Amino acid sequence: MDTAHGSRDKRVEIAIHNWAPRFVSSGVPLTDFEEVTASITHWDEWCAAWSARAAVHEALGREALAQGYRHSAGQHLTRAALCYHFGKFMFVHRMDEMRRAHRKVIECRQLALPLIDPPGERVEIPYQGTKLYGILRKPAGSAKPPVVVMCVGLDSTKEELDVYENIFLARGMATLNFDGPGQGEAEYDIPIRGDFEVPVKAVFDYIQTRNDLDGGRAAIWGVSLGGYYAARAAAFEKRAKACISLSGPYHWVDTFDGRNELSRDAFRVRSHSKTMDEAREKAKTLSLEGVARNITCPIYVVTGEFDNLTPPHNARRIASEVSGPCELLIVKGGNHVANNRRYMFQSQTADWMAQHLGLGRNEVGTARIEDGALTQ
Amino acid sequence: MDTPIKSKDPRVEAAISHWAPRFVINGVPLTDFQEVTASVDRWEDWCSAWSARAAIHEELGNKALADGFKLSAGEHFTCAAVCYHFGKFLFVNDMAQMRQAHKKTVECRIKALPLIEPPGERVAIPYEGKHLYGNLRKPKGVAKAPIVVMCMGLDSTKEEMDDYENRFLKRGVATLAFDGPGQGEAEYDFAICPEYEKPVKAVIDHLETRSDIDAGRIGIWGVSLGGYYAPRAACFEKRIKACVALSGAYERSSSFEGRPIINVEAFRVRSKSANLEEAGRVSVRMSLKGIAKNITCPIYIVAGTNDRLTPHTAAEKLAAEVSGPCVLSVIEGGNHVVNNYWYRYRDQTADWMATQLGVTKR
Repeated sequence: MDTAHGSRDKRVEIAIHNWAPRFVSSGVPLTDFEEVTASITHWDEWCAAWSARAAVHEALGREALAQGYRHSAGQHLTRAALCYHFGKFMFVHRMDEMRRAHRKVIECRQLALPLIDPPGERVEIPYQGTKLYGILRKPAGSAKPPVVVMCVGLDSTKEELDVYENIFLARGMATLNFDGPGQGEAEYDIPIRGDFEVPVKAVFDYIQTRNDLDGGRAAIWGVSLGGYYAARAAAFEKRAKACISLSGPYHWVDTFDGRNELSRDAFRVRSHSKTMDEAREKAKTLSLEGVARNITCPIYVVTGEFDNLTPPHNARRIASEVSGPCELLIVKGGNHVANNRRYMFQSQTADWMAQHLGLGRNEVGTARIEDGALTQ
Repeated sequence: MDTPIKSKDPRVEAAISHWAPRFVINGVPLTDFQEVTASVDRWEDWCSAWSARAAIHEELGNKALADGFKLSAGEHFTCAAVCYHFGKFLFVNDMAQMRQAHKKTVECRIKALPLIEPPGERVAIPYEGKHLYGNLRKPKGVAKAPIVVMCMGLDSTKEEMDDYENRFLKRGVATLAFDGPGQGEAEYDFAICPEYEKPVKAVIDHLETRSDIDAGRIGIWGVSLGGYYAPRAACFEKRIKACVALSGAYERSSSFEGRPIINVEAFRVRSKSANLEEAGRVSVRMSLKGIAKNITCPIYIVAGTNDRLTPHTAAEKLAAEVSGPCVLSVIEGGNHVVNNYWYRYRDQTADWMATQLGVTKR
C-alpha cells in the first residue's frame, strides 16, 4: 500500500492523496490504482499510464463480446471507460491527449450500455441550439419509473457514475446523468456556468417528452461541484421533487481559492477563461447566496467532516438556509464526498430518495442462527 | 494511501502484505482495510479491531432493517459479515475470541440472506451424524437452475463468497457455498479432510433431494486450498460436470517451511493436530498425484505467477495430468488466487462454468 514519495511531481501527489478512495469505490481495481500511480513520477505521464491500463480492460471487453459473453463484456468495458476517464479527468494541460482519452471513455461506455443490467441508452438533450449528451437507464420491470437527474462535478463525467446509478436502479428509480456546460462532452464548446438551472431546465423539459419516464416524479442529485449544481437548480426548477447534494460548495470562489492547482486549472480551462483572474471572476457566479432559501423541496445534504476540498461549513450553510425539509449528514472521518465512507450515505440517500419519489419500503423480518456448532 | 510503518508484529505484516487485494475485492471497503490494519500493531489486536469495524456495518444494517430498507440492510449485513470474518479468519490463537467473531459472521450473513438480490437460504447437509452448513442462492427467473458447489480454503468461509456468488447468479447458475471439514462452522467438530470427495459426496447427495435445482448439472469450484479440494472431489465424484480450481496445490509436502506462521497455525489447529509433525502428516495426504488423470470432466485452472503460497507450477502439473478438456490460465503477475487481477479470471471462469452447465450465453 505504499505510495513511494521520492521526487514525485506535486500534482501526482495531489491526485493520489485526494482521490484514492474515489477511484476504487467507483470501480477501479485496487491493484490498478496502486500500480498505475506507482509507475508515474511526473504528472505528464498520468493520462498515458491510465489509458494503457484502460486498454487492458477494453481488450478483455472486446474479447468477451467476440465470444458472446455480453454481461462480462459490459463489465470490462465499463471498467475501461472508468480508467480512461480517470486518465482524462484533470488533464487539461494537454488537450490533445485528454481528448484522445476522452473519446475512448465515451466509446467504451457506449459499447457497454446495451450489455449492462439494466441496459442504458445515450440520449440527446436539446440545449440552446445545440445538444447536451446523457445516459439514461431504467430499472427492470417498471413501465414509467421515477427518475433521478444526476449532475457531475468539475472533473467527473457521466461515465464515472455506474456504481451510483446501480444503487438508484436497484431501488426502482431510473437515472439520467448528463454532461452539462463545462463537463465531459460539453466542455469543449460550452463553458461552465453558475446558473446551472438553465441546463437542468433543458433536461427536465426533455424528460417531459419521454413517455417511458414519470416526469411528475423527477428529482435531482449532484456530486462535488455537482453538489452545488443540483442545489442551485432545485432553487429554480420546481419540477424537482427532491434533491441530494454531496459535498457541494455554497459559494464556489471561497472554496476555489483554497483548492490545489489541479482543481483551479481544470476550472480555468473548463470555464473557458484565459487567465486565473478571469477564472476567479467566473467562480464568483457559482453561488447559493440569496438563492438557497428558494429550495423548497426536501433536500439531503452530505459532506465529510475532513473534506479539505469543500469544507463542511458549506453544507451547514446550505442546510441552514433552505426553506423545505432538510437532512444534513456530516460523515465523521469523511473526506471529500465521503468517498472513504460511502457506506455511510450511499444507500441511505438512495433509500431516502426512493421514499420521496413514492416508492415503498419493504416489509422484512430478521433471522438468527438456530442450528450448528456455534449455537453450543 | 499511507500505512505508516511502525514496528509491526510480523504476523500483522504478513496478513497485510498477502491479503489487501483479497479483502477489498471480496467486499471490505478500502478505507476500512487501511484504517483497521494501520490501527493494529500486535496480532492479538487483529480480531477485535476488525470486529469493531464490522459492528459499524452491522449497526447500519440494523438501522436500515428497522426503517424497512431491505436491500440496504442486506448490503450492510453482508459487509459486516465479511469484516467479522476477516477478524476471525486466521485467529486460531484465541479460540474464544475467534468463536465470538465467527458467531457474528454467520449471524450477519444469515440476516442478509433473505434481503439480498437474489436471496439465499441456509441449508443443513447431513454428514457423519452431524451437519455441514451452506448458503444456497438461486438465480432469478430460472425454474430449475444448474448449480455450482463452492469449496472454501484454509481460512475462507462461505460468508466471504458474495462477490463470487453474484457472478455465477448473474449468469443463471445457482450457488451453494458450504463450510466443509476444518472450515467455518464445521471447523469445531470436523478436522481438515484431505479426502475431500467425502464431504462433496454428501453435498451432492443432498442436492439430489431438492426439486428446485437441476442435480443433473452440477459444477464444482474451489479457491486456494479449495482449489485443491475441488479437483480432488472431481477425481472421484462423477456427478460433477465441470470444475474450476483457483490457486490450489497439486501435492502438499509435510513441511510448512516458508509459509507465514499464522497460516501454519491455522492448518495445525483446523487439522486438529497436536503439533506440526502431526499436521505435516495431514498435509502430505493432500495430493492429486496419480489421481488427477481420473478428472474427465472439463476443468478451468487458474494460477498467478507471483503466488507466494502456492506456486503456479502446481496448476501446470494438474493441467498436464487431467484426462478431460482443460483451460489453463496462468496469469502474469498474479498473486495468490490472483486477487490483484481478479478481472482476468472471475468473470471468465463464471462464463465458462455457465457454458459447461448448458446455460445460454448472456
